[in-house]
Amino acid sequence: MTRAEAVALTVSLLADDDIVVAADGAISREAYRARDRARTFYMLGSMGQVASIALGLAMTRPERVIALDGDGNLLMGFGGLALVGALKPANLRHLVLDNGCYATTGGQPAISRQVDLASAALGAGYTWGRRCLAGSDARAAMESWLAAPGPALLDLEVDASDSDPAPRVPMTPEEMAARARAALTRD
Amino acid sequence: MTASRRLDALREVGVEFVAGVPCSYLKVFFAGCAELPTGAYLPAVREDHAIAACAGAWLGGRRTLAAMQNSGLGYCLEVLTSLHLMYRIPLPMLVSDRGAPTDYEEHRILGQRTRQLLDLFGIPWREARAGGLEGEARWLLETSERERGPAVLLVTKEADA
Repeated sequence: MTRAEAVALTVSLLADDDIVVAADGAISREAYRARDRARTFYMLGSMGQVASIALGLAMTRPERVIALDGDGNLLMGFGGLALVGALKPANLRHLVLDNGCYATTGGQPAISRQVDLASAALGAGYTWGRRCLAGSDARAAMESWLAAPGPALLDLEVDASDSDPAPRVPMTPEEMAARARAALTRD
Repeated sequence: MTASRRLDALREVGVEFVAGVPCSYLKVFFAGCAELPTGAYLPAVREDHAIAACAGAWLGGRRTLAAMQNSGLGYCLEVLTSLHLMYRIPLPMLVSDRGAPTDYEEHRILGQRTRQLLDLFGIPWREARAGGLEGEARWLLETSERERGPAVLLVTKEADA
C-alpha cells in the first residue's frame, strides 16, 4: 500500500466531526487531495510537532482528534509521544504512516525500522499501540485503531515509493489556520 | 486564585490554557500552574512542544500562554517561524530573563542575546516590573492578538510573582 492510498483510506473512515492534524509535507498534500475538510489542519513546517498540536486540540475539544504523522516526523519530536502518553487524552488517535525513510528529501533511510514505535507508545502510556506490517490488512487495522480507547497509536507500514506526488495545498497558511479555527469554534 | 498573582492576572485578562517548561526564575508562576484544573495546564517536556500544543489549543478556540526559560527560545525557533509567525497564530509568552554577567556560564551566551533574537524575528517584547502585573498581562494578550503572533514578557527572578 502506498502512503497516499493509506491517507485516502484513513480520510474515508473519518466521522464528519473528527478533527485532523496532517503532518507537514506529503501527508498534508495527500490528505488535501483525498478530501479537503475545514476540520483538517494542514501543517507546512514545524516538523516533529504533529502529536503536540494534536494534544493541544484534544485537551480543548471534545471531538476525536486524529494525528496523521510520519515516522521521521514522530522521531524528530519524540518527546511529544511521551506527553500524549502521560496526559492520556481519550479522544486522540495517532496514525504513523511509516515508510522507513525521509521520502520528501530523497528517500534517505530513517531509523524507524530499528525502533518499535507501537511499543514506544505503549511504554509512554498510550492505552493502545500496534504495528501493521506491509501486506497485512490495513483497513482492518485502521478500524480496530479507530474503535480502540485513546490515546491509540497505529504504526502502519507503507511503501517508500512516491510515484504520484500530490500538489501543494492551494491556501495560504493564514487561511488554513483561520478556516480550521472557525470550523471548530462555530457553535 | 492560585499561588501566583501573575498567573491570576493573566487568567483575569483571558488566558485559558497554559503550557510550559519550568525555570527557577519562574518558581512562583509555575507553583500557580500546578493548581490549575485538569486540561488547563500542560507540563511540557520541551519548549517547542509547549508552543505547538498552544497552537493546537488556539485552533480549538482557547486563549493560550506559553511559559519557559529563555534558553528554550532556541528550541522554539523553528516552531515560532513555521507555525505561529507563518500561520499568524497568537502566542503570549512568559520568558525568564536569565544571562546577566553575574549569572552562571550556561545562561550567558543565549541569555545576553534574547532581545536581539526576538528583534531579529520581529517578535514584540517587554520587561516585567515588580508591581506591574495587570498592565503587563493586558499588554501581553492584546499585543499577541493584535499582531496575531508571538509576544514576549521577559521576567527576572525579582519580577516573579
